[in-house]
Amino acid sequence: MALGTAAVLALGACSGGGTDGPDAGGDQELVLWHMEGTPNRVAAFESLAEKYNETNPEYPVTVQVQDWDQVYTKVAGAAQSGKQPDILFAIPDFATYVRNLGLGQSVTDVVDSLENEYGLIDAAKAPYQDDDEYWAVPLYGMVQMLWYREDMLAAAGVEAPTTWSELVDAAAALTTDGTSGIALPAGKNLATDQVLYSLMVTGGGANFFTEDGQVDIDTPETVAAFDLYKELLQYSPTDSANYAWGEPQAALNSGAAAMAIEKGQYLAPFAEESGLDPSQLGCAPIPVADEGGEPGSIYYSNGAMVLSEDSAKQAAAGDFLEWLLEPDNYGDFLNAEPGLFLPVTSGGAELEQWRSNEVLTTYAECVDAMLKQSETGELFGFVDGQYIDAVGEISGQNFLAQAIQQMHVNGMSAEEATAWAQEQMQAAID
Amino acid sequence: MTSLTASRRSGRTLRHRLGAVPRVVAWIVLSVIVLGPLYWITISAFKGREEIIRSTPTFWPETFTLSNFEQLFMSTEYPVFLTNSIIVAVTTTVVTVFVSLAAAYGLYRLKVPGSGKIAGIVLLSYMIPGTLLIVPLYRTLAGLELIDTHAGIVLVNVAFTAPFCTWLLRGFIFAVPREIDEAAAIDGAGPTRTMLQIVLPLLLPGIATVAVYSFVFSWTEFVFASQFIVSDALQTLPIGLSAIIGQYTVNWGLVMAGTLFTLLPTVVLFLFVGRYFVGGLITGATK
Repeated sequence: MALGTAAVLALGACSGGGTDGPDAGGDQELVLWHMEGTPNRVAAFESLAEKYNETNPEYPVTVQVQDWDQVYTKVAGAAQSGKQPDILFAIPDFATYVRNLGLGQSVTDVVDSLENEYGLIDAAKAPYQDDDEYWAVPLYGMVQMLWYREDMLAAAGVEAPTTWSELVDAAAALTTDGTSGIALPAGKNLATDQVLYSLMVTGGGANFFTEDGQVDIDTPETVAAFDLYKELLQYSPTDSANYAWGEPQAALNSGAAAMAIEKGQYLAPFAEESGLDPSQLGCAPIPVADEGGEPGSIYYSNGAMVLSEDSAKQAAAGDFLEWLLEPDNYGDFLNAEPGLFLPVTSGGAELEQWRSNEVLTTYAECVDAMLKQSETGELFGFVDGQYIDAVGEISGQNFLAQAIQQMHVNGMSAEEATAWAQEQMQAAID
Repeated sequence: MTSLTASRRSGRTLRHRLGAVPRVVAWIVLSVIVLGPLYWITISAFKGREEIIRSTPTFWPETFTLSNFEQLFMSTEYPVFLTNSIIVAVTTTVVTVFVSLAAAYGLYRLKVPGSGKIAGIVLLSYMIPGTLLIVPLYRTLAGLELIDTHAGIVLVNVAFTAPFCTWLLRGFIFAVPREIDEAAAIDGAGPTRTMLQIVLPLLLPGIATVAVYSFVFSWTEFVFASQFIVSDALQTLPIGLSAIIGQYTVNWGLVMAGTLFTLLPTVVLFLFVGRYFVGGLITGATK
């Protein structure tokens, strides 16, 4: 009896700790979900929300952190229960997934207003345009570069590569008994998808969909990019099949690898983790194919969707998102992760509040190089005005990365892996 | 004669010692396999960012630092995550013990019609993969207004721990002679009194086993907590710590410090009741 009473009391005691569900979470509250869980980003977003709430808005903002790996199922469950957040951070392919759940409101008026006020980069807003409406407000961009260790390249007498053949030669020349020429991810994850896609872009294979939305990845350009990846993996650490984002960065900073392909998160921890002067971190655009190549990289436009079905809350969410991009606030927002988050407004690159950040001043040349790289950024499913509804099914299952594993682990040729990817992707969206 | 006996004794001692070599070697190998990662996590948590990723690893911190722990406690909501985990794990444990004990006693001790089939169904429910139930559970908990509450997580946890714990208690209940019930009845004790005052004390090792199992299950549970909790203030340790790893950037020292402080409570628990748990699992499985 005592045990039972204790159980009931204990359960009752812990049932009061929660808040109501998100969308039902107080009629005068905007619940925002974001997936930037590292402590500095969490703190920066919460600080901005507090600053906004101090302006006494009718709808104050409450920030809640979610995990990228869990948010797909979480938002599906929330949608079925009518408990979705009012504002949801998203990337273009995730936005298609969310819209397919029946969620998402048009934010065209907000995007138009920001366009008129500050100007928005095409690469940032285009992936969210469908049916002549915008479905997310672009907030920050991310782009990939080739990162390298100046000291290691200098010691080997190697110049920063600009073409695929130079990249392979450099990787070979920089590979010794103790070090790898380049560290590439080859795990079944988004990191591998993204690095491969950057090489597909610079090889002329950015668009792998037909005009009617069918998969068309089995092309000579894609085969060439797959072949390059396979060749480069010879000069990558032997445990590359387990690599995602963190491992290549650790390899570069520790000197276990001389080159890596990734985004601007490489800037902030470089000096502390490598013990080197910041000048020893080199950066260059992604090398282009020797024939038919074009400059480019994967470009992720991160934006915010408005999910609330309440019209007053929709308007309030728009007010908050416009407030975020005001010059007095936008620099602080971008500095939630300095170097990784790039501005999406035309004048954002000149914001003193952003530019004066220590990381950005230390690596100003690389920051400028990333901004330039952004101009030729692409994202599969959204190339040249495309809007492939089913692209979330493809990115969510990491078919590009799985194809890399078919080569790296199962020994497939580039031709076989590309054909395999074609078959799997088409089956996923049929 | 004395010399011969001593020689024989010495030979037996040597053979005994040689015979122990495989056991000692196996013990050492197993210790390295089991404790090696724990050691590596522990010393890595005390290393600086440069040393922790060094390609030539150091087996003892050269740059001993507490900055990872400082960051864990100052920059993350670790104390909040820890408190939430304790609330959820302890409550799950208490409710599981109560539910599984009542169920096991009814199924395996009392003469309930169809108890054999019910016991089979209970065990079958344990075998359903939890991930298949996320959306239906989300809808159910939303209907009960239990999304984003610890009570919702506890209920789900109990739904998964209680069936296995009920089955686990089977062996312990069978080990208690039925003659005790009959003797108690002759002395005038009713079923409830017999259960609480006579049988229950004899089931304490089983209850300890069930308690440890449900506590560890709840402490490490990730999938449901990640789906059904949305507020930062209610997140449990596995969820909070997975968030600090983050996308794109990994602060390995912080992750190691967080991992160490997540492991500690369960390690301490096992130090005190681990032997009961292992013995209990065997008893539950073999009787």
